[in-house]
Amino acid sequence: MSAVVERSEAGPADPTVRRAGFGSLLRSELHRFRSRRFIQVVLAVAVIGWIVATIIALTQFGNPSDAEIARAEQQISTDVASMHQAWEDCQAHPEQGPPGVAPEDFCGPEPTRDTQRLEWYLDKAPFDFGATGNDGALAFAALSAVVAALVGATWIGAEWSTRSLVALLFWVPRRMQVMAAKLLVLVGAAALIGVVAQAGWLAMSGILRAVEGSDNQLPHGFWSDLLQTQGRGVLLTVIAALLAFGLTNLVRNTGAALGIAFVYLIIVESAVRAMRPHWSPWLLSDNAVGLVKHGGNTIYFYDGIPDSTGFVPQVEYYLGHLQAGVYLGAVTVVVVALGAVLFARRDIH
Amino acid sequence: MPAVQLTAVSKTYRRRGRPPQKAIDNLDLLVESGGVHGFLGPNGSGKTTTIRVLLGLVSADAGGGEIRLLDQPVPQGLPDVIGGVGALVETPLFFPGFTGRLNLQLLAEAAGVPKSRVEECLELVDLSDRADDRFKGYSLGMKQRLGIAAALLKSPRLLILDEPSNGLDPAGIRDVRELIRRLGSDGQTTVLLSSHLLAEIQQVCDHVSILARGRCVASGPVGEVLASGGSGDVLVQVADPTAAAGILHQAGFAVSPADGALLVHSVPSPSEITRVLAQSGLYLEELRRVTPDLESAFLAITEDHPAGSGDQA
Repeated sequence: MSAVVERSEAGPADPTVRRAGFGSLLRSELHRFRSRRFIQVVLAVAVIGWIVATIIALTQFGNPSDAEIARAEQQISTDVASMHQAWEDCQAHPEQGPPGVAPEDFCGPEPTRDTQRLEWYLDKAPFDFGATGNDGALAFAALSAVVAALVGATWIGAEWSTRSLVALLFWVPRRMQVMAAKLLVLVGAAALIGVVAQAGWLAMSGILRAVEGSDNQLPHGFWSDLLQTQGRGVLLTVIAALLAFGLTNLVRNTGAALGIAFVYLIIVESAVRAMRPHWSPWLLSDNAVGLVKHGGNTIYFYDGIPDSTGFVPQVEYYLGHLQAGVYLGAVTVVVVALGAVLFARRDIH
Repeated sequence: MPAVQLTAVSKTYRRRGRPPQKAIDNLDLLVESGGVHGFLGPNGSGKTTTIRVLLGLVSADAGGGEIRLLDQPVPQGLPDVIGGVGALVETPLFFPGFTGRLNLQLLAEAAGVPKSRVEECLELVDLSDRADDRFKGYSLGMKQRLGIAAALLKSPRLLILDEPSNGLDPAGIRDVRELIRRLGSDGQTTVLLSSHLLAEIQQVCDHVSILARGRCVASGPVGEVLASGGSGDVLVQVADPTAAAGILHQAGFAVSPADGALLVHSVPSPSEITRVLAQSGLYLEELRRVTPDLESAFLAITEDHPAGSGDQA
């Protein structure tokens, strides 16, 4: 370090720094986000995953010949006839059903040709964008939410584990400002991840339509419904990123936060569905589906005390977009705010 | 204007299942602007906690005490003066996956420091050649140098360095001390140097404050603190040390042999030794007050204020 004593011109002069604004901090955080290797790897893996998924999807669809379609239609007719016979038998013997339940409820709707889809009877059906557009948007929203959650968790978790967050406080002592800058960058990045993911779905479906697509017309209002679903998918992605950020900020460790999330999603939610099914409307995953899925999420569960025949009535609960969005938003705000307040008030070592 | 002023500041850590621990106990500390101020104390004396309190990382106990940094109250006024404060507290805190240069650039961006200053500081600590290596690949000494570069990035009016020599090789230690001395003498920078290396404090600092059990037990110019902790011992060289020892002992002095000479302990007035020996026909070849070093002074002072057994620094 001989330069230390040789270069007196580089020593302190007038203070270079006065008081940097929030914009400087935001730019610095954006630069930091872009430079994070793990985040780059996660996003690269997501892109590779999209390419692989597109290739696999291309192998799952095909343009069947007229003979294959005729064979499938023949099989549908046979199956519908068989199902119709069973349905008629059910209607004729209502005593076989649970007491107090009408045969039409017990036996279900009358089987017709329309209840059977052609692609179920084909080895490789053509890709039907009109039928799968909304489901695909939901699936891509789920995937982008997972990616954004990983990014959100590591974004703050690595700052805690390396304690570089503490070093930043030597420069920007207003802790809430530091937290706000990190949150703003994350919200922007998560929204971008969500938009790119939905664009990825449109690109994938465009490729599938061009190569192995059906000639079916898109249903009326299809694009409006799809864009709304995609918009809610982007919202879910942002919420997932913020929830992961907030949880990691509370426990101050990425691994611990992801562990908690895993235990919640796999164990706690399964246990609740099995032991307290009437709590299902409060589960995060059900609300996530309710937020994004076209038409909302209808949850069915068996609840209550079995009657003398052991029959437990089925309960149907509808989770609409608004209810699910408000619930998820409220949980996110509480988790993020709690972490931010503790960060602002606690001693930092 | 004092660079640092703490008046009756306390900090208590609550510990689960154990009694609370007072890391700082009614601490008064004054660091005047300019020069290098040493901050010395045994482990657990509260040095690092004091620095954390100064930087707003740790809050002092409520209800009493005043903390001022560059004449601004802490923590309320901290954002107004933080641009003039550079700090290296314990180990340098950087992102391991980023290069040394990127780590500094991110800090510079956050605080609005020009990019050119990053290059200046890298050069200042002789890291320009390794600036594009990742921080996790740096040796301990290189990490420490990057930490010093970060502390200097703001061209601070107050530079707080906590054990800056950690991990440095002898040449690096010498260079850091030269740098600290130069910064302290430039008339614009105040350096607060916390160190457990007594020699470092003695070589580099103009003033020193000594902490024990969270209290400041001595403070002032290094020379004065040395004198206050001095033993008052006097080295006496005579032709016949055995006879001289007997005479001095009879006169009430505490005497011990020292390499063919005599060490007379706790002598308020050395001229008394001259008189007693001369009356007995023994004449001095040498009489010298033993100058205490900082280590002796430090031990003498902190023995009067024994450190607590806790490990809170």
